Amino acid sequence: MDYIIEMLHITKEFPGIIANDDITLQLKKGEILALLGENGAGKSTLMSVLFGLYQPEKGVIKVRGNEEKITGPLDANALGIGMVHQHFKLVENFTVLQNIVLGIETTKRGFLKMDDARKKVMDLSEKYKLFVDPDAIISDITVGMQQRVEILKMLYRDNEIMIFDEPTAVLTPQEIEELMQIMKDLVKEGKSILFITHKLNEIKAVADRCSVLRRGKYIGTVEVAETTPEEMSEMMVGRKVNLTVEKNPSKPGDVVLEVKDLSVEAKREGQTKKMVHDVSFKVKRGEIVCIAGIDGNGQTELIHAITGISDMSTGTVTINGEDVTKKSIRYKNTHGLSHIPEDRHKHGLVLDYNLAYNLVLQQYFEKEFQSSTFLKNDKIYEYAEKLIQDYDIRSSEGSYTTARSMSGGNQQKAIVAREISKAPDILLAVQPTRGLDVGAIEYIHRQLIKQRDAGAAILLVSLELDEVMNLSDRILVMFEGGIVADLTPKNVTVQELGLYMAGAKKEGGRS
Amino acid sequence: MKPKQIKDHTGILSSIFAIVLGLIVGLIILFLCNPKQALPGFATILSGAFTHGAKGVGQVFYYATPIILTGLSVGFAFKTGLFNIGTPGQFIMGGFGAVYVGILWTSLGPAHWIVALLASVILGAVWGLVPGLLKAYFNVNEVIASIMMNYIGMYLVNWIVKSYKPLFNNLRNESRNVAATANIPKMGLDKIFPGSSVNGGILIAILTVIVIWLLLNKTTFGYELKAVGFNRDASKYAGINEKKSIILSMMIAGAIAGLAGGLLYLAGTGKHIEIKDVLASEGFTGISVALLGLSNPIGVLFSGIFIAYLTAGGFYLQLFEFSTEIIDIIVAVIIYFSAFALMVKIILSKIHKQKGEKAEAAKEGGTKS
Amino acid sequence: MSVVYFIFQQTMYFMIPLMIVALGAMFSERSGIINIALEGIMTMGAFTGILFIHFTGGSMNGQFQLIAAVLISMVTGMVFSLFHAYASINMKSNQVISGTALNMFAPAFAIFVARVIQGVQQVQFNNTFRITSVPLLGKIPFFGPLLFQNAYITTYIGIAIFLLSTIVLYKTRFGLRLRSCGEHPQAADSAGINVYRMQYAGVMISGALGGLGGLVFVVPTSTNFNADVAGYGFLALAVLIFGQWKPVNIMLASLFFGLMKAIASAYSGIPFLSSLGIPSYFYKMVPYIITLIVLIFTSRNSQAPKAEGIPYDKGQR
Repeated sequence: MDYIIEMLHITKEFPGIIANDDITLQLKKGEILALLGENGAGKSTLMSVLFGLYQPEKGVIKVRGNEEKITGPLDANALGIGMVHQHFKLVENFTVLQNIVLGIETTKRGFLKMDDARKKVMDLSEKYKLFVDPDAIISDITVGMQQRVEILKMLYRDNEIMIFDEPTAVLTPQEIEELMQIMKDLVKEGKSILFITHKLNEIKAVADRCSVLRRGKYIGTVEVAETTPEEMSEMMVGRKVNLTVEKNPSKPGDVVLEVKDLSVEAKREGQTKKMVHDVSFKVKRGEIVCIAGIDGNGQTELIHAITGISDMSTGTVTINGEDVTKKSIRYKNTHGLSHIPEDRHKHGLVLDYNLAYNLVLQQYFEKEFQSSTFLKNDKIYEYAEKLIQDYDIRSSEGSYTTARSMSGGNQQKAIVAREISKAPDILLAVQPTRGLDVGAIEYIHRQLIKQRDAGAAILLVSLELDEVMNLSDRILVMFEGGIVADLTPKNVTVQELGLYMAGAKKEGGRS
Repeated sequence: MKPKQIKDHTGILSSIFAIVLGLIVGLIILFLCNPKQALPGFATILSGAFTHGAKGVGQVFYYATPIILTGLSVGFAFKTGLFNIGTPGQFIMGGFGAVYVGILWTSLGPAHWIVALLASVILGAVWGLVPGLLKAYFNVNEVIASIMMNYIGMYLVNWIVKSYKPLFNNLRNESRNVAATANIPKMGLDKIFPGSSVNGGILIAILTVIVIWLLLNKTTFGYELKAVGFNRDASKYAGINEKKSIILSMMIAGAIAGLAGGLLYLAGTGKHIEIKDVLASEGFTGISVALLGLSNPIGVLFSGIFIAYLTAGGFYLQLFEFSTEIIDIIVAVIIYFSAFALMVKIILSKIHKQKGEKAEAAKEGGTKS
Repeated sequence: MSVVYFIFQQTMYFMIPLMIVALGAMFSERSGIINIALEGIMTMGAFTGILFIHFTGGSMNGQFQLIAAVLISMVTGMVFSLFHAYASINMKSNQVISGTALNMFAPAFAIFVARVIQGVQQVQFNNTFRITSVPLLGKIPFFGPLLFQNAYITTYIGIAIFLLSTIVLYKTRFGLRLRSCGEHPQAADSAGINVYRMQYAGVMISGALGGLGGLVFVVPTSTNFNADVAGYGFLALAVLIFGQWKPVNIMLASLFFGLMKAIASAYSGIPFLSSLGIPSYFYKMVPYIITLIVLIFTSRNSQAPKAEGIPYDKGQR
């Protein structure tokens, strides 16, 4: 057994939480080992321990058979360990080259000498087919290229052991395929790879073995070729999981939301660019329409324009036959629109308010909850208690809990509860299950179906292909600001969907 | 104990911690300068006000009046997410408004002082409005904008008072006396605290504190202001007009600071606007008051009285050959340590949060199979 | 023509301290720490420097004395700024609050100590440092009277600091690492850079330059120090923002503000302006009004270091 990395009985604690509880992980030389677990299972923490960002309370790390103390990224690098983080550690207004050399710059008496570095970077880029422009500014390049910069950072430091933390969250299906190939090529060159993910199909595509973590504990390691996704999923969650959603066929009624010729312009890098391009569509009662697409193709701008959070340059929005294009956000919120926002911390909640105040965020001004501007606190807390019961929102102190101290899943449940109990005509749900564990995801899916069956019109925006295929009655694919396809999930495969999303195929056109 | 109560206790503890440290540093400095007189001097700071009976207490209330209000101004703005460092400018503009009306509009009879105070409120509001507008519409940092407004206000007031003969007392380089009808009535306080300079101003200040407390905690308006202060994006999402909230916040904060200025210059104690290029110190003291009072209106009331108390004691220091600046030093050190205190508060509430998540997880773990 | 020279020389007296302090602030903010305490740092630096000159007035004079005072001011500024550094970096306190506390402390301290030492709060000093004309260079037509007459060594020190700052920030390893801490401390940390140490360096540089700026402000324009630097510390922050955190723009912004201040204080010596009859208060207000207007235009697309003001916390992911 030739293990290049051994993490033995690692325990890492934070105030009040044991993030890693006696975990043992072993990576063989030249293999791709997947580290599987839900959000919050402890995968990122474990890798941060390996990379030296955290020190474990208990346990030992062995590299190439020798016990080592890794006190920081410099130590990790010296041992040949490198990491591509989930949220890139790139300085936005530096160039590609500057980012790659940061921390191990070649200098002469303190002055930067970039020529040798440049040559080395270009040589590596060619050898591993990782194409980059060394003088491009990070904020100008694509996410795929940014990830290549992160990989080059590791190669520049002669890292042999590479950790990839959820690398595919931000990539197009094509870029994901390219990354899988890059990983296989790296392993051919003798590198060993640790691949953190919660996506079972990717593990199947590229990993040799898979170690599973659940709630901070180590569950077991399996040979990927001999294990089904269902089995891996069960290890990850602890019970049998239904990977598909059960629902009745939809019975669409009248049109509730109509969007016509909507365009959004924005200034990027000094130029005006159309983020959303003459988009038109309708959503009817009793149907779930999903806008699918890679992150960054205009979905965020589209939703913000519909709700009023940002301005649109042209176009109209109609709700129940009424033109609400120029109406205020408050007007839309009180005339049939509900919105589960993409970013629950930025838009969805006032984290420093308690749960009750957050639950009335959309309704505090109504007669029920105030009289001549004086708040009726007893009514507010009564209402909050009801929602907490009905929607099973868990928190440490009930209505008095500060939203900030609630878990992501319960924060999202609170937002869902608030928006749904308004009994909206049209519900906008943007990535409603992002970052949540399987239990919460199942719950929110059930709620959405329930609303749809009760007659609401639902506009869903999702980046998870499974969710798109399972939940929606109709799929609108967005690419570069425009709608390029209107599909029925029954009649399309995931691969085809991916092609539409990447702009490689347009409905009614050639691929 | 409800969680909110736990949090308040840590806040008060941290303020006390900062105060004790500040006082200790003050004592050390006194010691270094004049060891023999250090302890008696220090004792005077702590007890000075009381040793002069009812008059002493009255003096404390008199000093407290303007700084309670400037503190309220800063604290109110803090609660809505804004740092109002512009209180010196709003204060002097308010003072100017009061003095102008006080000197020139003499035919108003018994309503004179009310109108003069109104003028101070309005001018203060205008001075707060400018940084508010700039922040809401142009995203200009309100700290820098307010600092600029401080200097513009100071120069503007000096300029107008100096060049307008009816306002200007040439011999003493300050504004003239205001008419007697413009002075704030004693409202019976001169009987309770005979011999002191206290007047109805302290009652007006306390009333303002109560109004602001009600506004912040019991109204939809307060709900919106705090929401915008905590999270501007979420407020916009919820349909709140965040621009309007920011502007109104700064206006109200400015109005309160302006009122402070009015109350000082109409106190009938011979306070005149001096033509000096110096920013009103009552404005900056307000920041200390707000921080010590944890930006809570009631807290501001008590910390304003406390700092006034120290200041009163400080005056008696001159008997011991120490200059009164030692009080400013002590207050500055208290503020410095109160910044640490916030961190203590944060740590305690983080631990609280982790406990909360554990409790939550335990609840969920219990019901799952 | 002599009017032009006069205005320019006066501008130098106001521009140089402003630029020095603003460049110092740039280093601090580029590392991620907002330093509002500049007013207080300037006051402390000026106080100790002037006090030194006052007490050595009999035994020393000339440029040597000034240079010694410069060193003292810089050290004072650096030490004083350590309080801000400790509060902001180790204690993760609100940087505006700790800065404001230091601003309140400094003038009170200066007055108090002055009274204890010499009985009155104003510290007098003898100005023996003015260079009426630099040998050789002062005789160059046009540039001679402009830059090399009625000048101080500190003017040239200031220009040197400007050049050094530009080089250090953009051409050295230290500068690259410093900038990364202000933009994306997590990236710097995972590249193995000690973010806390960089931030300490940034704040200490702003302290040293702030202290120096205080001294440089007082010397050419006064014969005493009264615990007041006339809001220069805050104006330097405005210059920093106006200059979008870049050295060259900061230099130009300081030039502009220095010119305004020069006109405000010396306009009675300029026949054209004094005949306009505009009172001095107007000129005094102009730099602040202009700052507000400039802020309106530049705050939308601010190029502020992305992570400034946010205490860096390793525990966050």
